[in-house]
Amino acid sequence: MKSTSIFDIENWREITATLARNKTRTFLTAFGIFWGTAMLAMLWGGSQGFKGMMYRNFDGFATNMGAVFPGTRSISYKGFNKGSWWNLTVQDIDNIRRVAPYIENSSMMYRSWVSASYADKSKSSGVLGVEDTYTKLMEPVVYEGRFINESDVRSYGKVCVIGRNMATELFGEESPVGKSVNLANVYFTVVGVAGQRGEASIMGRVDDNFFIPASTMRRAFNRGNTVDAFMYTSVRGHKPSDNEPYIRRLLSAAHSIHPDDERAVSFMDVSEMFEMANNLFLGISLLALFVGLGSLMAGVIGVGNIMWIIVKERTHEFGVRRAIGAKPADITVQVLSESVLLTLVAGIAGVCFASLVLAGADQATYTPLNGYAGFQISFTTAMIIVGAFFVLGTAAGTLPAIKAMRIKPIEALRDK
Amino acid sequence: MIISLHDVNKTYPGIVPLHVLKDINLEIERGELVSIMGASGSGKSTLLNILGILDSYDSGDYVLDGLEIKNLSENRAAEIRNRKIGFVFQSFNLINYKNALENVALPLFYQGVGRRKRNALAMEQLERMGLADRAHHLPGELSGGQKQRVAIARALVTKPAIILADEPTGALDSHTSKEVMEVFRQLNADGMTVVIVTHDPGVGAATNRVIRIVDGVIDNGDV
Repeated sequence: MKSTSIFDIENWREITATLARNKTRTFLTAFGIFWGTAMLAMLWGGSQGFKGMMYRNFDGFATNMGAVFPGTRSISYKGFNKGSWWNLTVQDIDNIRRVAPYIENSSMMYRSWVSASYADKSKSSGVLGVEDTYTKLMEPVVYEGRFINESDVRSYGKVCVIGRNMATELFGEESPVGKSVNLANVYFTVVGVAGQRGEASIMGRVDDNFFIPASTMRRAFNRGNTVDAFMYTSVRGHKPSDNEPYIRRLLSAAHSIHPDDERAVSFMDVSEMFEMANNLFLGISLLALFVGLGSLMAGVIGVGNIMWIIVKERTHEFGVRRAIGAKPADITVQVLSESVLLTLVAGIAGVCFASLVLAGADQATYTPLNGYAGFQISFTTAMIIVGAFFVLGTAAGTLPAIKAMRIKPIEALRDK
Repeated sequence: MIISLHDVNKTYPGIVPLHVLKDINLEIERGELVSIMGASGSGKSTLLNILGILDSYDSGDYVLDGLEIKNLSENRAAEIRNRKIGFVFQSFNLINYKNALENVALPLFYQGVGRRKRNALAMEQLERMGLADRAHHLPGELSGGQKQRVAIARALVTKPAIILADEPTGALDSHTSKEVMEVFRQLNADGMTVVIVTHDPGVGAATNRVIRIVDGVIDNGDV
């Protein structure tokens, strides 16, 4: 006489027949597990998706970016009163580039508010003066033509790049490239149309502004030697703020700023903001995991509970089976196999359902420019979830199975 | 000798230990139709449980079809029950979500017999019981007499050495009881050893030998 084995097709027939004959009970148990896996998978995939949506705001935006802005002295020093302005200059930028050790790419920045006009349309708009290296900081999307290049900057070219929204406002369907546009009564030739992928920006979104060479900005708009801001990215392995002490010391010396006057020079470090966002989403992921694990545990305890009730309810049946020749192990295998089969089928169904919901969410948040937000769980994660349920489902079935095994045939037969 | 009990004792432990079987000596020959009769509490059910290897005994010897039944593991006991003994119970003990054919085939499942062969053998026994047309009915759809005949078919399907029936007519009306007893007599005529535990004198009278048990002792009539 052979013993019942997990891999025996006869045994599976017996189990599926039992499950099929007790439809309500099977369905209720399966639903608990189905919902548990679906919740866990949806929460996990959902938190990934929200993270993706958040990150794509930073798409095309260097996350290791920093910026320096001039400001007012907060300590009176060397004849300059508290509250007096100081200006960043072109010489400062040259010096910073020479001295600060951890700068990779950088661009000086200008910003003006002008009236822009083309033909009979006019619009007030921001104009950003940048160097060609700006494209390494922001990675603008060029829809048409090109961005400001090095030769534009060197030759004080009267060329501009128009933001996409601005182009639609002034030119409508017409292509702006090659046309002349009037910015504060200076004519610039449009060389390109640009935009940005994400939402994050410093000094204005690419889509809503004009870009001209920094050199042209100084000359055409009478900025003399001053600079509005300086943007840079740090070299790999360093944070933008690692450059701060060098820059601070240099500017303090050049502009009669008290060495302890922290507020006179403003720094910005995108990586710190980014890290904050990262921590936030780590928190959300952990919360999702926590809640998901909770629903998983609830599902598993549900299985254990129902298996326990099933064993109690079927004590008499097990007694009959034992009397006609079932070994204790046959009964254990039967109870365990039932919980394992239920867990597996319902768990896989739950993960599939969650995948569908996530795919829907991913479709709904799709944008042509940014692509998918990533409301997804990887195949590995899905397998881990199903695997965890498999293991826990088996564990939950174990106690009832052992209880079932211990039932003595005579006691069971007496139980009616 | 198919069943041989020698000085078998059984006591249920407790605050007041209950000595249910006292030095039972019993021999049943192959091909006998025997009834064990006794009042409720006489120890006849305990005796049946021991004969059916559903319960253990404290001292003495029990030999079933040449096998010494002593200190068996649960697995070995299950195996011997499956191979040697066909049980028939008062309350039929059919599995209510399995149809007649599946119920009859179940002991063969635990022997590892393939489904096709299982069902063929089960069908053979159902035909023998005149229930071929009820093979795909659930127990709930059968009458008491039909259920008991399904249970007898299940007891026969493994071709056991002995049929042990525990009050097989207890849940049946007198007419059906007679029919069921006729089935047992027919089985016996075909050579099967049948042991019936009962308190019904009518059932006892339908067997060839009556063993009376009173207060845990076999009453040989020479009191």
